[in-house]
Amino acid sequence: MSEYSIIGKPTRNVDGPAKVSGEAIYTFDMVLPNMLYGKLLRSPYPHAKIISIDTSEAEKLQGVKAVITGKDTPGGKYGLWRRFPELCDQTALAMDKVRFIGDPVAAVAAVTAEIAERALDLINVEYEILPAVFEPLEAIKDDAPLLHDDISNNINITRHVEWGDVDEAFKNSDYVREDRFIYGSQATASTEVHNSLASYDKGTGRLTVWSSTQSPYYLQLGLADALKMREGDIRVIKPHVGGGFGGKNSTMPDSVNAALLSMKTGMPVKIVYNREEEFTCTEHRTAMNLAVKMGFKKDGTIMAKEFKLITDGGAYTALGPTALYLTGTYATFPYNIPSYRYDGVRTYNNKMWSTSVRSFGATEAQYATEIQLDRAAHDLGISPIEIRRKNAMTPGYEAPGQYKVGSCGLLECIDKVEKRIKEKWTDLSKDEGVGFTTFAYMCGGIFNWIDTPYAFSGAMIKVNIDGTVDLFTQASDIGQGTNTVNVMICAEELGIGIEDIRLHPADTATTPVDLGAWASRETMMNGNAVKDAARNVKEKLIEIARMKLGENIVYDLEAKNKRIYLAIRPERGFSYYDIVKDAIKLNDGEPIIGVGHYTPHRKGMVSPAWAFGSMAVRVKVDREIGHVEVKDVIVAHDCGQPINPLGVRGQVEGSVHLGLGWGLCEEQPTDNGMVLNPSFADYKIIRTRDMPQIELHEVLTHEPEGPFGAKESAEGAVGPTAPAIANAIFHITGAEFSSNTLKPEKVWRAIREAEEKAKKPAKR
Amino acid sequence: MKNIIFDFEYLAPKTLEEALTMLSQYNEEERKVIAGGQSLLILMRQKLITPQYLIDIKGLSDLEYIKFDKKEGLKIGALTIHRAVELSPIIQKEFSVLSEMEQNLSNVETRNWGTIGGDIAHADPCGDPAVVLIALNARLKLNGPSGERTMDAEDFTVDFFETALQPGELLTEIQVPVLPPNTGVKFTKYNQISGDLGLASVAMSITLDKDKKTCSDVRIALGGVAPAPIRAKKAEDILKGKKISDALLAEAGQAASEEASPTTDIQATDEYRRELVKVLVKRVGVEALARAKKA
Amino acid sequence: MKKQLKFIVNGNPYDIWIEPRLLLVQVLRDELRLTGTHRGCDSGTCCVCTVNIDGKAVKSCSVLALQANGKEVLTIEGMANGPKLHPVQEAFVDNWAFQCGFCTSGQIMASNALLKENPNPTREEVQHAMDGHLCRCTGYNMINEAIRDAAGRLQAQKSEEKAK
Repeated sequence: MSEYSIIGKPTRNVDGPAKVSGEAIYTFDMVLPNMLYGKLLRSPYPHAKIISIDTSEAEKLQGVKAVITGKDTPGGKYGLWRRFPELCDQTALAMDKVRFIGDPVAAVAAVTAEIAERALDLINVEYEILPAVFEPLEAIKDDAPLLHDDISNNINITRHVEWGDVDEAFKNSDYVREDRFIYGSQATASTEVHNSLASYDKGTGRLTVWSSTQSPYYLQLGLADALKMREGDIRVIKPHVGGGFGGKNSTMPDSVNAALLSMKTGMPVKIVYNREEEFTCTEHRTAMNLAVKMGFKKDGTIMAKEFKLITDGGAYTALGPTALYLTGTYATFPYNIPSYRYDGVRTYNNKMWSTSVRSFGATEAQYATEIQLDRAAHDLGISPIEIRRKNAMTPGYEAPGQYKVGSCGLLECIDKVEKRIKEKWTDLSKDEGVGFTTFAYMCGGIFNWIDTPYAFSGAMIKVNIDGTVDLFTQASDIGQGTNTVNVMICAEELGIGIEDIRLHPADTATTPVDLGAWASRETMMNGNAVKDAARNVKEKLIEIARMKLGENIVYDLEAKNKRIYLAIRPERGFSYYDIVKDAIKLNDGEPIIGVGHYTPHRKGMVSPAWAFGSMAVRVKVDREIGHVEVKDVIVAHDCGQPINPLGVRGQVEGSVHLGLGWGLCEEQPTDNGMVLNPSFADYKIIRTRDMPQIELHEVLTHEPEGPFGAKESAEGAVGPTAPAIANAIFHITGAEFSSNTLKPEKVWRAIREAEEKAKKPAKR
Repeated sequence: MKNIIFDFEYLAPKTLEEALTMLSQYNEEERKVIAGGQSLLILMRQKLITPQYLIDIKGLSDLEYIKFDKKEGLKIGALTIHRAVELSPIIQKEFSVLSEMEQNLSNVETRNWGTIGGDIAHADPCGDPAVVLIALNARLKLNGPSGERTMDAEDFTVDFFETALQPGELLTEIQVPVLPPNTGVKFTKYNQISGDLGLASVAMSITLDKDKKTCSDVRIALGGVAPAPIRAKKAEDILKGKKISDALLAEAGQAASEEASPTTDIQATDEYRRELVKVLVKRVGVEALARAKKA
Repeated sequence: MKKQLKFIVNGNPYDIWIEPRLLLVQVLRDELRLTGTHRGCDSGTCCVCTVNIDGKAVKSCSVLALQANGKEVLTIEGMANGPKLHPVQEAFVDNWAFQCGFCTSGQIMASNALLKENPNPTREEVQHAMDGHLCRCTGYNMINEAIRDAAGRLQAQKSEEKAK
């Protein structure tokens, strides 16, 4: 691996100087001449029919330029699951009824944000309140109010997966356990709120939208569907984005309504959510009810698993079905499960719709799996590490009809963490304990619900006469460092320097399609596309160099360190810069253009590759008040060949932080569909004083499918964090949990319960 | 994002007298006083408070001071910023508990602009300074149309966000008497997240006899567990005149938890908050006792 | 009714008339177009908008602009020395101390104030001083390392200046 000149070396973020000097432009910072400010009027009711809307008073307010309601829109239905038209259930504004508190019913554009906000108070909406339903188990009942008229029992989508003979395998198990879990939701809580700026060109009828999005392409498609326009007439530009975390995949009312208002006024319109809207009306992690059954041999070998899931989908579909699918898939990771049966249901109800937060599906599935494994290990008298080692996936593992694992360094990761626990944590006090977990995560999704005819990712390269390179990709850097990764991959493949490359990211008008930043896909998918485009250019340059050298055809040429030369006789070659000049001059001045693309093939149905790892946490519990302190974290991580170790570490650190939040303090309680804590004062996020240090070990593997052997590193470490903590508390106190968000009061109660339970046999 | 979307008249008095005159000019409903504004501006952004006149006293530098005298004790001008209290060498030396409390009050950014007087006058039952000041037996100086008066810190907050300030009155000074000999004071609050408002907080001042064994006086103040910070007098009675032991402190904790009247909200139930009081009183007592012995 | 605001921002004197209801962050971003200072919340609880007022870290969303009258404000745009980044900024880049970058201006301005007060902070001291700053991306550890790295750079710079 050491033959790389750029890959694997700690590399400064290419956006760094702009981001540390306040010069990086976010949509939030943008103002266009003559720009109007838009605001959305939202439903105060969870479920109601719109009888009438009177906007006349609002329109009279000085400074108001446009007020629109559902009837002013083209009424196009949109959603991410475009392959299935019945799952495209959203419209720009409510057409006939509202389905959750916050469902937008009207939009206003005015010369200032203040005027727009005052205008909202002047819109008079008459509602007929309908009965509402909020819980998934209630929503599927026959007498529950229906969210969507044509969808019976509020069942949005179902999923069944099965392999092996599950019933037989349970019969042959020595030990079977069943556990139930209930999870709450988690906010994405990006520091940059959702916001979009739309500018309609009156001359051409085309639309340009700048938006804080994770996927310019998805937004382009969503806008085209909602506005009933050609996607080619819509240009989406993603400036710098202040975080996504899974909440910015969907087309949201800010972009659609900014576009509609701009089309109506002929002026640019910007809509910026406030923090309360962000908490109550943007996508969040899917809350779930799970029932999980696992069968084991006496020695801890897993025989079978049965998993039943009902998810709290909220009012619309969006990416929700993917959460349902992935949870069912991740319930089998990262272990060898010979027989598996999964049944999942996603339900509609009268709350903001739920989709994805970083590591969605995995976090939820792993919490149940990892907790169950420790309970089983405890009952079977096996150590938590041994039971995992015994069942760990190995390279080449296949789940029939579902997925294939390529490279897999899981056992090495388990060994590494075990070794470090023994070396490092020799002085545990009586209130301290260790939780141990493993994890796996996908490198992008194979499923094509968006129904794109394009490759999953593309890239384009233009080489200029002086050897500088313009790299065009639609990959979405939302902070994870994709821009840097792409420049590094391009530089490595072409054998040039990072300083030679100018990146043009994430503009649907100038870059080939990429599906965006979700499911940790950019390094694998866009990385491969960039590498392919660079290889395309390299071949053209090598052709010229070969011609100039006049060497035997069997000799290979290489591009490296800004030279192109004979692989076996490196001294025979030319400067890269000279070859570029020759190539352009020899070809009638035609610019050198390279294109590349990537779509996974023959890799099953889920993901082209899988990253693995294991984690241990050292936890201290204050038994009297239930406070949980995570003192120290060890992670061993197989992300294949790390492209940028700085970026990899950043991703693991951030993942653990988000996992700690889901595990310890983040939750979104609701009351009759109303979110009760819509501010950073009441929604608790771990701050720096409570953040443990993380010891990270990279276990190098080579993933044949990945660019330079790379796999994902952006999400995997979220999932194992919370169950590691729960397991540690279990080992220290005996307290058992069937939910996440282990706030001190919950821990305190669980400890009391465990103490009561421990007392009981003595009483008898 | 949310901004203040209503207009108001902004008044910036240059002296206390000017401020008091302005206060008497407008009635309670139409005017509001802003000091550091760390809480007020948020309420105004949320449209929860919509004054027509905003009297900005942040610039009254006359009310920004920390003075100490062995006889008179400590005097803190109401407009002294939290950070100045935190970092004051004399406070660190003579009333370290005040400095310790400030170190964990919100974040540095708030402490750099917010004032201790503003904090007390805001009367959030979860506010930290009031709890410590009650344990320290502090008095508050108020200036108003009919001159100046002082009152016990304990009596200042009367309900959720409500104080004993009369119309036209301003909190101007915090007065902390010199600690009696053999006195130890400790404050703690608990929340899952460091720097957050406490789910419950406890301040305790223990004074020992000359022999440093018997508790001659004790003051216990609780925050966040009643509509206003309260004294736990039954808990105090348990300790007063006794040799303090762990068992006795546990008993005081139990009594204090019964004196508290916490509510249930999304952060915690009343039951858990009572439990916190029980445990924190015990723990704070151990530390205050140790300090008293060292004093 | 508009009121006069005279203050210094990044060394430049400003004399403007503004509505009293404007927050400092609104004047910086909307009037002066210094959009490097971001906003993350409506409750004064994220510190994303932190600037320095008279050398101290303060949340610009929790100060009325008129309260900055006569004061010296430093924002992220005032940190670099011409084309040369400030050592704190350099340290943030070298240590990968940001990801999305949205909270970074506030983090850097708070670091700047911290390092003036405490030129050689420990990990715990940095944690304590930076505790109000919400970062959803980094998990804070790499920011902490960058600040301590910056401390070293600033000290080296000082001794270099002394040597001259």
